[in-house]
Amino acid sequence: MLNKLKHHWNVSSRREFFTRAGSGLAGIALASLLDEEAKASIDPLAPKTPHHAPLAKSVIFLFMEGGPSHVDLFDYKPVLQKMDGQPIPESIGKPKMTAQGSQNNNLRSSRRTWKQRGQSGMWVSDWYENTGAHVDDMTIIRSCWADGINHVGSVCQMNTGSILAGRPSMGAWTTYGLGTSNKNLPSFVVMTDDKDPLGGANNWNSGFLPALYQGTLFRRGSTPILDLKPPATISDEQERNQLGLLRSINELWSKDKSEDSELEARIQSYEMAYQMQSSASEAVDLTKETEATRKMYGMDDPATAVFGGNCLMARRLVERGVRFVELYSGSGSGWDAHQHIEENHTKWCKASDKPIAGLLADLKQRGLLKDTLVVWGGEFGRTPFNQQGDGRDHNPWGFTMFMAGGGAKPGQYIGTTDDIGMRAAERPVHVHDIHATILWMLGLDHLKTTYLHNGRNERPTVLAGEVVKEVFS
Amino acid sequence: MRSLHITHSVVHRIFTLAVCALPLCGFQPSAKPTYEKEAAALLTAKCVQCHSPAAKMGDLDLTSRDALMKGGKHGPSLVPGNAAESRLYRHLTAQLTPQMPFGGRLNEQEIAVFKNWIEAGAVWNASASTSSAAPSKPRYTDAQKRYWAFQPVAAPKGNSIDSFILAKLKEKNLRPNGPADKVTLLRRASLDLIGLPPTPEETQAFLADNSPDAFAKVVDRLLASPHYGERWGREWLDVARYADTNGFKADEIRPNIWRYRDYVIQAFNDDKPYDRFIREQIAGDEIYPNNVDAHIATGFLRHYTDETNQPSMENRREELLMNITDTVGSAFLGMTFGCAKCHDHKFDPILHKDYYRLQAFFANVRAKDDFIPLTGAELEAVNKQQAEWETKTKDLRAAMHALVAPIGKADADEYMNRFSEGTREAINTPAERRTSYQALLAFQGLPQVTYQDAALAKKLKPEQKKQFDLMAAQLKEFDALKPHPPLAQTVIDNSTDAPKTFVLAGGSWSAPKEEVQPGFLSILDPTDAKIVPPAGFASTGRRTALANWLADPKNPLTTRVIVNRIWQGHFGAGLVGTSSDFGIMGDRPTNPELLDYLTSSFVQNGWSIKKLHRAIMLSGVYQESSSSQTEAAAADPDNKLLWHYPRHRVEGEVLRDAMLMTSGRLNLKMGGPGVHPELPEGVNTAGYSAWATEKDEAEARRRSIYVFVKRVMTYPMFEAFDAPGSEESCPRRFSTVVPSQALTMMNDNYVLDWSRQFAGRVLNDGGLSPEQQIDRAYRLAYDRSPRPEEQQNVSAFLTKQSAVIADRLARNEKVLLPDRLPTGLEPARAAAFVDFCHALMSSNEFMYIN
Repeated sequence: MLNKLKHHWNVSSRREFFTRAGSGLAGIALASLLDEEAKASIDPLAPKTPHHAPLAKSVIFLFMEGGPSHVDLFDYKPVLQKMDGQPIPESIGKPKMTAQGSQNNNLRSSRRTWKQRGQSGMWVSDWYENTGAHVDDMTIIRSCWADGINHVGSVCQMNTGSILAGRPSMGAWTTYGLGTSNKNLPSFVVMTDDKDPLGGANNWNSGFLPALYQGTLFRRGSTPILDLKPPATISDEQERNQLGLLRSINELWSKDKSEDSELEARIQSYEMAYQMQSSASEAVDLTKETEATRKMYGMDDPATAVFGGNCLMARRLVERGVRFVELYSGSGSGWDAHQHIEENHTKWCKASDKPIAGLLADLKQRGLLKDTLVVWGGEFGRTPFNQQGDGRDHNPWGFTMFMAGGGAKPGQYIGTTDDIGMRAAERPVHVHDIHATILWMLGLDHLKTTYLHNGRNERPTVLAGEVVKEVFS
Repeated sequence: MRSLHITHSVVHRIFTLAVCALPLCGFQPSAKPTYEKEAAALLTAKCVQCHSPAAKMGDLDLTSRDALMKGGKHGPSLVPGNAAESRLYRHLTAQLTPQMPFGGRLNEQEIAVFKNWIEAGAVWNASASTSSAAPSKPRYTDAQKRYWAFQPVAAPKGNSIDSFILAKLKEKNLRPNGPADKVTLLRRASLDLIGLPPTPEETQAFLADNSPDAFAKVVDRLLASPHYGERWGREWLDVARYADTNGFKADEIRPNIWRYRDYVIQAFNDDKPYDRFIREQIAGDEIYPNNVDAHIATGFLRHYTDETNQPSMENRREELLMNITDTVGSAFLGMTFGCAKCHDHKFDPILHKDYYRLQAFFANVRAKDDFIPLTGAELEAVNKQQAEWETKTKDLRAAMHALVAPIGKADADEYMNRFSEGTREAINTPAERRTSYQALLAFQGLPQVTYQDAALAKKLKPEQKKQFDLMAAQLKEFDALKPHPPLAQTVIDNSTDAPKTFVLAGGSWSAPKEEVQPGFLSILDPTDAKIVPPAGFASTGRRTALANWLADPKNPLTTRVIVNRIWQGHFGAGLVGTSSDFGIMGDRPTNPELLDYLTSSFVQNGWSIKKLHRAIMLSGVYQESSSSQTEAAAADPDNKLLWHYPRHRVEGEVLRDAMLMTSGRLNLKMGGPGVHPELPEGVNTAGYSAWATEKDEAEARRRSIYVFVKRVMTYPMFEAFDAPGSEESCPRRFSTVVPSQALTMMNDNYVLDWSRQFAGRVLNDGGLSPEQQIDRAYRLAYDRSPRPEEQQNVSAFLTKQSAVIADRLARNEKVLLPDRLPTGLEPARAAAFVDFCHALMSSNEFMYIN
């Protein structure tokens, strides 16, 4: 029974604690003397001990939405380069089904200039000149694969493990598993650079976990957090007075209800919200950064300013203890180049290249990179065969992601695709494996991170997933 | 999560000790036994559900020795002669994770079989093959057969709700709280039944009524209110996963699904007997073919999420069937059927095939989005008019179509490549020759390759385009003739013959196993359901059989589940806490006798939900005060035995409605399409989550149940207060306390506006003294007068705040003021009063049902 209470976090379990431990504020004071589990039963966001020593404290997930072309960015394929215009070799075989029926089309070589970079000599095309300079900090996984064939399902899977909406996102699992280390900021933040990501909030929601674990979508403009800014019609002094009145009204009502910790928690929540108004506003204020730093992220160039600003914001957030930051590049399927891939990817690579390079360099120079796992990828890659002549279709059978920092081994490849870059060949790494690995690096075992829902101990990786230990050891 | 693992390892330790102490009788080796048959039997019973050639989870097939030697994605499963090195054995003994079989450990004797078999060389002759095609006959354990939820509902001794409550309290030597005061009780009843606070006049009337049935009269008045359906209908919409959009990428609007929402409100208001409510939602079209409301009700099955542009029609069909099956299982039966998609339920006696037996009732279902909810002469008139329009425009439309048809065909031919061969074949087969399965695939696939003539016309050559436009203009002249009847979105059976239903390995449509017929939960009734197709129209009659079984007064699950949901609605938690999971992993009833007493009375009372509300609300336990008792709090800290009324926060929807009502701004208009209040600043209005704010501002002030439900974006104010997503059935909402709720209350534009309106309402109430103004605000917000200390506290605040604001006004700063002010009132004082009203609406007393 006691187990169940901890799985179904609810009001009564916190009440239970308070009734036993004394009441109201006395209870909160007492709580500091208790073990974490007891604390978590009062405050579900309290920091929790991880399952093992973590390699990373925070994750910055750079999500290139729409599907970046791995065969034009990281996965250099000499064979493909020689087979431009030819059919898919029989030895490799056509995919059974594609998103837009392009499986009978001929191969298209990469039109990019490729270079081996850094000490490690890993290949990166000229689309990512700046980011490519950081290969020696990266583990490049070339053998990723996923289940979905359409965007919305695949974006959803990369976030939640399932192509059907409704499961908790990785950021939500992370907050659930680790709690938060900065109460004045949301623990899981999502930022977009264009339209809404496909599937919207399903990609950062908490699914069957309590809603407080869901991600907070930072809005563009002056108030990234909804309703964070007090209206212009109220001054700070006026607001303090008003909150004082509210507290006194609440306390008078609570006089004979002191055992009810939830009432007390709600009184406190106004205090916290007031603190957030200033501290969160400070955290998201990019004008506090020097001109040089802003430039490093490309904020001086309209082509890179939006994503650059988001990358800089991400650094400010992880610096302040935010656990999980997810940044969409091309949100709303920008990278989806079914035709005119040169034009499309030139635009989005430009928009993301300098900001990502700036982020990696800045994290490193501030000593944050060792504690921050940066993950780069899309919901899938793109086909080595053409679509409409100069485009590429969706490729969930083999694509590239990279990890940097947070314990990821520098300058190594994991896995390969076949000769044309269509399917994962050596060491296939499924989305579930990526998830298990990210959680592991944060100190969470995906098999032990469970929540009882509809009679089943649900976990982030559904029924599969294994930690890709080569990433960090 | 940690604690569960501790528990497992403790169990494991106990187990190991117990086993070590006992000889493994029956498994002592005699003459070089191979354990071949035993191992094969266990593989069949425990493993091949997931590890068959079809399901092949982890890429692992366990149906032959060769397959075992080949192993899965981690390498060979067997090292013959060495159990310790064999992955198979290591997974069974938890040396490798996950522990297998997934979700439950074999007993030590069974594990010993594998050890012995592997050590003996893992001999496997053809005679001992496993088989995933013929699963063994289900055997239920005694515990499963005796499990409380499957037992018939008893009629326990006792004549009132309170007698059962008191009996449980007495066992623990506890006593219930005394009754709540009248103001608290009235507010509780009103928020509870209609989701709106009482008016000061209603409070006065109740306080003045000293008759013994004063409260009964209140309950009856509230139950008769049309707003009752708006509050309790919302509870059902959570269960029904109601939404106004499809979900997924495009999240297309379902423009006419709101009729289902209005149907639910009306059904609650009419106190539609619950058995009829079930029948209408599962098979209204079949059972009451001439009743348009019943057709709208069957829209319950239409609320599945739907990715309309996915290329696999086979997968799309299976996804919607699973959504329907899962929902029906949890909404009506309180059973987690979803766990049996891929294998027998790990804990409850729901067989893998039971999932597909339930699904088979829906095998021929398809969307019906153009249902005309009219009957008789009205319907005839529409049909006649439509026929007339069609006749008169037939040639014209044919000529237009002929112009664009070649382009349409070329486009379709190219796009068809995305479909599977099966779907292409289905679409290319003439309609009358399609199998029932092909008909469903084609029904879903065709819209993707069917283009509007007008859209295709854009690609015509100039000369043809001119021709087309000329005809289009001519066609337009007939517009006045074309009828525009109301439409509803629901489902129907596509024909009289349903496609076959198969048990699916791993829940995948592409891995069918044995065929199954429609049937109920096997532990309750293992036979195939008796299906009688309806006379006079083309439908299978399958859903009728299911509806009748669900609505059978003897069904132990359906009846208890709804009674428990109603109890939960009143007390914040059900007698069974997990209101959609009555299975083993769910909670046990805290008071099983009470649940059965309520359930049997409910059925006797003609499945009347209003009578159930009345019985609950007139009980002593409902009317208890919410205050604490030290001893009781120690003995029953979770208040499972209900020694006090459990205070709980109202839902976001109720909070919004209460603020609107208190500010005098609530628009009580009922029904119609969903409305779109303004979104807070910062919501991306360019993306998929966008919606256009209502042009008529009064529409944005409608009750919350009418706010448009967009699957990819929950209305932010509701989301902040724990509104569930509508992908799946939600049995019970969380009730969290987070700063984002406080931020909403502090800074949301609407909340600020309602505070302003609330203050204006009080200040413009002529002839009130400053004390009377405070009194009036308290009465509007809390239904009571302030106590002297409260009066004093507020007065002091108003004085202090007025001074602060006066300074700001002197600096020409903007402040929040009511639209008009009575003459003589200082604006600074009025603005301070706005802040006071804002605080009242943000307070705990306003937000909690006490």
